[in-house]
Amino acid sequence: MSSKTLLYILKRIGLAILTVWVVITVTFFVMRAVPGGPFMSEKAVSPAAQAALEAKYGLDKPLMEQYITYLKDVVTKLDFGPSLKQRGRTVMAIISDGMKTSAKLGIMAAFGALALGVVLGAIAALQRNKFVDKVIMVITTAFVSMPSFIMGSLLLVLFAVKLAVLPANGSTAQGLILPVITLALYPMAYITRLTRSSMLDVLGQDYIRTAKAKGVSGGKIIFGHALKNSLIPVITYFGPMLAYIVTGSLVVEQIFAVPGIGRAFVSSITNRDYPLIMGTTIVLACLIVVMNLVSDILYKVVDPRINLE
Amino acid sequence: MKKILALLLAAAMVFALAACGSSEAPAATEAPADATEAPAEAAASSLAVCLASEPDTIDPALNSAVDGATLVSHLFSGLAKWAQDETGALVIVPDAAAELSEGVENEDGTVTYTYTLRDGLKWSDGQPVTAADFAFAWNRAASPALAADYGYMFEVVDGYAEMWETDADGNIVNPDAKLNVTAVDEKTLEVTLANSVAYWNELLAFPTYFPVREDVVADEAWATDPSTYVSNGAYTMTGWEHNSVITLEKNPNYVDADEILMDKIEFYLSDDSNNMLTNFENGTWQLIDDVPTNEIANLKTEYPEEFVVAGQIGTYYVCWNINEAILPASSTLTGAEAEAAKAEIRNAIALLFDRNYIVEEIGQAGQVPASSFVAMGMTNPDGTQFYETAGSSDEYNGYYNVSADAFEANFAQAVETLKKYYTYDEATGMFTDFPTLTYLYNTSEGHKAIGEYLQSALAGVGITMNLENQEWNTFLNTRKEGNYSIARNGWLADYNDPICFLDMWVTGSGNNDVQFGKGGHKDVAIYSLDLTDLGYELKVENGTWAQTYDELISLIKSCTDNEVRYELMHRAEDLLMSTGCIVPLYFYTDIYMLDDSVQGFFSNPLGYKYFMYCTVAG
Repeated sequence: MSSKTLLYILKRIGLAILTVWVVITVTFFVMRAVPGGPFMSEKAVSPAAQAALEAKYGLDKPLMEQYITYLKDVVTKLDFGPSLKQRGRTVMAIISDGMKTSAKLGIMAAFGALALGVVLGAIAALQRNKFVDKVIMVITTAFVSMPSFIMGSLLLVLFAVKLAVLPANGSTAQGLILPVITLALYPMAYITRLTRSSMLDVLGQDYIRTAKAKGVSGGKIIFGHALKNSLIPVITYFGPMLAYIVTGSLVVEQIFAVPGIGRAFVSSITNRDYPLIMGTTIVLACLIVVMNLVSDILYKVVDPRINLE
Repeated sequence: MKKILALLLAAAMVFALAACGSSEAPAATEAPADATEAPAEAAASSLAVCLASEPDTIDPALNSAVDGATLVSHLFSGLAKWAQDETGALVIVPDAAAELSEGVENEDGTVTYTYTLRDGLKWSDGQPVTAADFAFAWNRAASPALAADYGYMFEVVDGYAEMWETDADGNIVNPDAKLNVTAVDEKTLEVTLANSVAYWNELLAFPTYFPVREDVVADEAWATDPSTYVSNGAYTMTGWEHNSVITLEKNPNYVDADEILMDKIEFYLSDDSNNMLTNFENGTWQLIDDVPTNEIANLKTEYPEEFVVAGQIGTYYVCWNINEAILPASSTLTGAEAEAAKAEIRNAIALLFDRNYIVEEIGQAGQVPASSFVAMGMTNPDGTQFYETAGSSDEYNGYYNVSADAFEANFAQAVETLKKYYTYDEATGMFTDFPTLTYLYNTSEGHKAIGEYLQSALAGVGITMNLENQEWNTFLNTRKEGNYSIARNGWLADYNDPICFLDMWVTGSGNNDVQFGKGGHKDVAIYSLDLTDLGYELKVENGTWAQTYDELISLIKSCTDNEVRYELMHRAEDLLMSTGCIVPLYFYTDIYMLDDSVQGFFSNPLGYKYFMYCTVAG
């Protein structure tokens, strides 16, 4: 690795840390500016009880002091503090519980989308303008243009209610099938279209013609030259796709009642569970930042022509 | 060449599909495993239900939710419990206590109860349950250190006031204060109440009063994991997959274990009513505690037996901010006259709403039109319904006639009253100078539909009311701070005594959303109260809210004569309703769906559901 590349990577990591810090700071102060509070309920607790709770969780201290204490705990001890709503549980425990499910969901959706998308895209490109190509294009257009909450509801009605072959509740292993499909369809369709157009582009390149002229076998052309090079746009899409899956799972987890981090995030906001809001935000932000970083670095690996500067 | 390629790609695709398939394989193999287990489990009964999403806590002292109370009631055994008698009526019976003894009044007016624990009581880990466990648990639940939502449930116990005494800065004065509860010996518990309390036995059956053991709760996370969760009730918690399912299994150490019919209960955790309905309809769950509002009409006809409407002690109402200016700009009324006029106007507006329309067309869940604040289900000492004896009319219940055929007359009467204060255009039948109102509600389709109805009802007489919705937590804050003119509100009882509907309106209450006695209303002296006929010296003419209502509530709290106490509570409601700030719309019901194969299920008026005596047919 050249020193230039190394410098670039270091710079990007520095930028990523800065991004996360900005996210933490903005979230911390905006969250506290929102009206309401963690101990607000239909049946109001007495002022003395409220004061006792605030003192217990350090919420009675000046905001700046709370911010500094929080940052210190997160950076030095990776301690996100206790949940204010689910008393007795730490934010870390809630996040790691949710993450197990969300990660399973996200990884299955991402790999499913990648594998199917690339294969379908390649088939479509090789069968250009033939029947198979047209079918694939029509279907993927439909998937790309349909938002996940509609797709999710349709699948739910079809498979869980009408046919009753799959559970509607995403809390079991079987229950994850529908949410995985819902989450994977959009990126799968997008990758299919991406692979198709990029493959068509590559197949028209001079070096492919040269390879053909030199008598290289068809399989070698496709797998050795065409497919590899047409995957560059797919890799550039890798980062945005993971971001889509992470954010998309907020909606999908809600529809299928999947006990993931997305649901923890949504409910932490309605509950004003400050430490949980911070914890989930930090984890999600880190995830997106890291994914983008990784896909940027991957460009370079796949295509040496790309100048990172 | 192309063919080979296509073949290769097809193979690749099949491979990719197979790869996807294999990631789902565990699920596929799990299903048959479940199926083969089923016959083995046939002897052991089990039930799958869904009440709500993940409970915030199932620590009996910290819980304040209805679904949490249901779980805790299965897991713990207090001195008393809810049960059904032979006729199916709900009664409070002794549980851990050998009997629910009568209190003995002391010279200073306090009342002491002595309970003996039954023989053979054990915790789920085998240790004996002692009187000291109760004394510890009660002190813990009531303490400022825990600051539990329902800590105030111990308000009736002697010593609570000292525990919560604060200085001018709001600091707790006596951090070491304790409740007047003593474990006389291993099996005898003595508790002294500040004065006699009509609903004491009911409190003993309340989850906040359930015992916990000191060494167990020393671990702050004890109630979040089955391995550390030690209980003393009919069930033990054997599994908690967070946000997914809580599993309870019969506790062999429970003293009445042979009476418990259901071996295993799975509480699935979801708050999505569509998801609940799907799982109910495909037979996965046998009870669901919520259904989508827009499905109610269908479900009632489709499942006449399984769609259940149960009573619930609660009132859905609209509240006014008492300090909101509603007189026309041209009005010359000031001071007490203006305040009296506002009360009359608010009471008139309450008559413009057709409550039957609201419950039949919008609510659709068997709600009962309400004309008083203390909810249906609360009873007088003689067993009659409190709401039926509310108000002064012999012809109808409550403070106005809400029967369907009275609506027209109500409407006409309201218009006549409003004409006294506002300009009325006879040609159009509209008031032209009523200030614009804003109705605040928390974001929800149901609340919105009711808001829209109220809006259209007022628009019918020329009153413009805009609708504004806020997210739940923000809404609570806005309403509490009094930054609204008119707002949606609702109240569910914590225990079967009307005081829990009345003491929330004293000046200092955290639930005083109307802002009685606050801001401009602090000095408004238009309220009169005469209790001399009941033997009290209190007689106030044109007093403030603090001089009348607050005084009345404190008298109710110290009153030991039940007859007098209920009369005082009726008078408190009279005073409350005279302000027109509370506009009751309907009494809540609890709707749920219960599979018709399930027998032996019951629920209590607070909405707690009991599955321990259930059996599943077929």
